[in-house]
This record gives sequence, C-alpha cells and structure tokens, in this order.
Amino acid sequence: MATDPTLVARLDALVSDILADWNIYTTLIAGALVAVAISSLVFSNEPDTHPFLLARQATTSPVRQPGESAVYRSLETPYGFPLKAGLNIRDPGALKWTSGRNGDLRDIWKTAVRGVLNEDGSATGKQGKIYTVLGKNVEEHSLDNITQEINVIGQHLSGAKVETVAVCLTDSIELLAAIFAGAFYGYKTVIVPHNMQPDILSAHLQKIKADALIAEAGSLDLSVVAKGNDQLAHVLWVAKYGSRHMDWSHVPEELKNRLEVNVWHNLVEENRNIHGSDVPSYDPSTPTPSVTTVWPSGAALGDFVEYSPKNLVAGISALSSVLPRPQKVTSNDLVLCIDSLSRSYPLCQVMAALFANASVALNSVAGESVDFALATAGVSPTVIIASSRTISDYHKKIMEPHTGVVSKLGQWVQSRSLEAGHMPSRNVLSQLANIGPTAELSLDKLRLLCISHRVDADREYRLTSQQLTDLRIFTGARVVYALTGPGIAGAISQTHVFDYRQHHGPSHFGVPPSSVEIFLAGFPESQVSTHAIEGQVVVSGPAVVSGTTRLLARGRFRSDNTLELVS
Amino acid sequence: MDSADGAVSPPAEVMSIASPINLILLSLFVVVVYLQFRPKAPVTLPSGPPPVVFRTFTPSTLLPFDGNDERPVYIAVRGRVFDVTPGRNFYGPGGPYANFAGRDASRGLACQSFDEEMLTKDLKGPLDELKDLDEEQLENLASWEARFTEKYLVVGKLVAEGDLEASKAS
Repeated sequence: MATDPTLVARLDALVSDILADWNIYTTLIAGALVAVAISSLVFSNEPDTHPFLLARQATTSPVRQPGESAVYRSLETPYGFPLKAGLNIRDPGALKWTSGRNGDLRDIWKTAVRGVLNEDGSATGKQGKIYTVLGKNVEEHSLDNITQEINVIGQHLSGAKVETVAVCLTDSIELLAAIFAGAFYGYKTVIVPHNMQPDILSAHLQKIKADALIAEAGSLDLSVVAKGNDQLAHVLWVAKYGSRHMDWSHVPEELKNRLEVNVWHNLVEENRNIHGSDVPSYDPSTPTPSVTTVWPSGAALGDFVEYSPKNLVAGISALSSVLPRPQKVTSNDLVLCIDSLSRSYPLCQVMAALFANASVALNSVAGESVDFALATAGVSPTVIIASSRTISDYHKKIMEPHTGVVSKLGQWVQSRSLEAGHMPSRNVLSQLANIGPTAELSLDKLRLLCISHRVDADREYRLTSQQLTDLRIFTGARVVYALTGPGIAGAISQTHVFDYRQHHGPSHFGVPPSSVEIFLAGFPESQVSTHAIEGQVVVSGPAVVSGTTRLLARGRFRSDNTLELVS
Repeated sequence: MDSADGAVSPPAEVMSIASPINLILLSLFVVVVYLQFRPKAPVTLPSGPPPVVFRTFTPSTLLPFDGNDERPVYIAVRGRVFDVTPGRNFYGPGGPYANFAGRDASRGLACQSFDEEMLTKDLKGPLDELKDLDEEQLENLASWEARFTEKYLVVGKLVAEGDLEASKAS
C-alpha cells in the first residue's frame, strides 16, 4: 500500500510534465484532431442500401437437378412465386382487387400519351417528350404528332393488307412509330439494322418474307433489294429533313407494276386531318403481332429473334421494377438512348421509359459502337442507355489517359466513399475529380447509366469493376450493368444500382431481373459435396422466347449470388 | 498554471514541435485518419446449405429415408418424393404416420388409412397404379398432394425397380 501514493504522484508528475509542453503547435494539432473526429461523425453517411442486401442478392432454389446448379432468381420473385410476366395494367372500371393485365405495346403508347396521373387517378396533362438528336441539334416532337403518324402509317399499311414490315432505319421517331403502328394495326415488325449491304438486306427480306419495307430515302438501290423478293410490294421512304423537297417516289422501270413506293412525310401530310391524333381504340384481349430483331452472330446474316408481345412486356416490366423506388425512371427524367433500338435491351429500356412517362431522346447515330462524347452532346440527359463497347472504348481512349494527378486524388477519396456504400455527392471534390476526364461532356444532370453487354461480345469489351467505379466517380451517375442474350427480352441479369463494391477483374453481371430465372448446366456431378455453381448459362421465364434458352456462354455464381462469365 | 510553467522554461523548448504531447496527439491524429480511410472488407454472409440434388428413387432406395438415425424422412406420393423432415413428429419414427416414412404413401393417403397393408409389399415389383380407387379417394389424394406441395420440397421421383431411368440414375 505504501507504493500507491508514490505511483499516483509519479503519474501525476508525468501528466503535468507532458502537459507542460503544450504550445501553439499542440493547439493546432489538437484542433485538427477534433475537427477530423467531428467531421467524420457529422458527414458519415448511411450506405445507400443495407450491406446484407448486397451480400446475398439472389435467392436460390433448395433443390437442384443432377448436373445443374440451383435455380437463381431475383429477390422480388423468389422460388415458388410466379415470375413477373407483365405491366400489371388496371383498366379504368376494373374491380379494385383484381390483378392487372399483362398489357402489350399498345398499352405502353396509350400510357405515354395519357401522361402523368395525379394521386386520385386523374390526368395532369403532363406528357413526356421525344427528342431526336442530330449532331448538336435537337428536334422536339410531341407525342400527339407521333400518334398521328402511327395512325397514318398504320392505316396505310393495314389497308394494303401488309403482314410483315421490315424496318431498316436509324434510331428515329419513324422507327418508334413503325413499331407502335405494328402493334395497333396488326402487322409484324422486323427491325433490321440500317446501313447494310443491299444484297444482305435482300437476303434478310427473303428470309422474313417481308411484304413491305420502310427505309431511309436514298440509302438503298431498289432494283438490287427487290431482286429475288417477289413478295415485296410496298416501299415507304423516310426522307431526312434536308432532302424532303426531292421527289423520292420514283420507281425503277422494271419494278413499276409490282412495287408501290410512297414517302413517309408526304403520306403523313396528306392524311393528317383524316386520321386524327387520338390513340386508336383497341380490344386489350386481342393479341398484338410480334417484333423481330436481328441478333448479330458469327454468321454474316445474323439470327432473327422473334419476340412475342408477352416476352417484350415481361422484359420491359422487369427492367423497370428492378430499380429501387428512389432510382426509378419517372416523368422528370430524360432518357437518352445511344444504343440501337434494334437490340432488345435498349428497346425494352426505352419502352419502360415511355411507360413511366419519361422523356426520351433518340440519336440517329445510336449503335453498339459510338463515340460517347459526341453522342451525348446536344442534350443533358438524366439517364443514358449505352453498350459496353461504347463505354469501354470511351474509358480506354478518353477517361484513362486524361486522368491527371489532381483527378487521381479526387478519385481516390471518392472511391473510398463508394466502398463504404454510398454514392459521393457532387461537391468540390467531385468537380476536382472531373477536371480531366469528362470535362467535355454535358452530363450535369446524369444520374443513371444503363450499360448492356452482349453475352457473345468480344472479351475486351467486358467492363472491369474498376472501370465501373471510374464511371461512377467521373460521371457522378449510378451504373447498372446488364448481360443480354439472344432470345431474351430485356436482360439476363443486371447489377444492383446500389452495388458499388469493387473486386478484381471483369465485373460481375448481378442477378436475374424478376422476369427470368437462371441455372447453370453441365456441372460434373463427381464433385457431389460442393455447391454446383459453374456451367453453361440456361435462362428461362416469360421474357424468354420459347420459354427456355441455353446459351453457349459459361457462367459462375459468386458467393453473393451474382453471375459472372467464365473465360 | 500552464502559463506560469511556460514562463520558467527556456523559450526554445516551448516552441518545439517534437514534444511528447505533440507526438502523442499527432499519432492519435494519424490513427483517426487511418480509421476513416482504411479499406473495409465487404460484408459477406455465410453460405447456406448446399441445395439437395434431385434424385430418382426406386422403392428399395427410398426405404432408408425413414428418419431413423437422424436420416431425413421422405414420402412418395404418386411418383413424387417429398422431403417431410420438417414434419418429423408426424412422419418420423414414433409418429402416427411413421409407417409411410421411406415408402410410397399414395394408397394410404387416398384411403385415409395409416395401416401397413396400404403399402406396396413387393419393393421389386411395379408401382401401385391406384386404378381401383373411387372418385372420393382420388379427391382425397389430390388434396393431400396439394398440401404436400405447399409445405414440403419435392426432392426426387419414384420409379419402379428395373425402370430405364432408375438404372440411369444409379
């Protein structure tokens, strides 16, 4: 006991010795320490979503077939529940507790034209708009005018008893109008990629037995295209604004008696007052014709994939429901699509945007490989739909080389914030990070970037986790990254919008949307004790043409139940 | 007190930045900054039990799944094998339906009888095709089946001994 007082006394002396050295530097350091501690408390953000939701993103079936993995599904539609099949449209007057219809493309256009609803279900009269981006110029179109065009073109083609229409256009309102006119007036639409060799186009037309063709005026030599296509009876030219004064209705001599040629804008002008701008009335129980697109495969021609309206609405509804509520596309959004509408993912995203009464901007140069900076000039979108190839090129050529020391520092700080699970807000720091790489972009309002990757696309376009992080930091937008495949409307799987976690190598592709389920086949059953998590990707569900499709690609499920491609 | 102490100390020592208190505070500062920016491992959840592999059973390979020795309890109804382990109190050893464990229970359920003679005796023979049941009994069976599919997992199917599928599976 005797030592105790001296110990205390010595401690006391030590402390007062140390405190005795207090000086101006000490005050500064103590001030900084307190400032950092307080700021970390004050500015600490909750992560955007609960980390457990990202740690296990899909549900798995408790039973699996031999040689196959368990069936993986979205958390929205777990094992034992029906997959999402449609838009759940409630007609006015329907009983309150009945479930809605699945709907089709006609309902999407009707909803787009109807505009935003008030809480009580009455219309506010606020419609989305459709813009076409031509270089730096932007044209605005009202939905009513497009409805007129749908009516005129639809009446014209259905009056001519046309069954299959090949549409060979760049992304434009005419393409959109042709698709919707097909749904309202009952002809099959086949979206053929534009700028094809005439002989390849001719082969396409033979294969699909098209009896009408809608194409850009002056882009095709009719005599080549019509050769071997005796069923082709109607051609509709879409003339660009600058060349409308020319007479496009000329027909080559030898085709005069079997080919009827018309010009889109002339037809619309002549019949504008006859057909009006009301959405045609329709019986929702009648089926609408299919929409066919071309999947670019190894063969020169590519494969035709015929999406039934059921596939499309399932894909569309799943893409819009997969986004959590604050991230959903709404009427305040402007969705810019710089990926071709002839691909199912952009098509479904644009349809989902129209259904949500958002404004849509179409770009005439849209495609799988476009210059991101040029294609996004002219408008200030909130959502961009692009292909992995476009984004990967942009990241390699522009973003990476133009990242300087200052940007690197901002990038490092922000990637810490992303790793902690919350999106860095736009502030001085993000301005700092943006100085180099994205200075030329007009993306101030951008909040969501939807990137799709073709399952059979070149490996080098597969985005890495690091690239996605860079995109989040430099564009200030959240990113969803989807895997698409032939015969699947919408996506096979898509990353969670709040999943900012970083890992090595190519990014995973998230989990299936609510319209499909995935399992992996071809697992060697000798390793019985392990989880079967690797094999050929098999996708099934209402969004899949013919119900189930087995892809050539091999996939693997990670420990968080997200899908990644192997090799 | 502090100022008085400071007054006696030589001025050079007062303005030194490398005093013990400064070093202590500095290292605290570094620790706080490190804690804020240290890389955090993403959250992982423990992986669940591996999924049960769907199997093709014959009456004799189904027999061991009677719930004895902590084995799961399986019951076959019209060719489908249900894992009724969660209902072990009923279907497991000692339960009122214990006779059905590891057996084809279709006839028993249809006739609402839990006796031994409801079971197919010859395990090597063909499956019971239930052709002699009347409408009421079939309805009974269907409602049992509906309850089973609602509550329990289908973990396999039952085929007769010598069936092509059975030989393929084994």
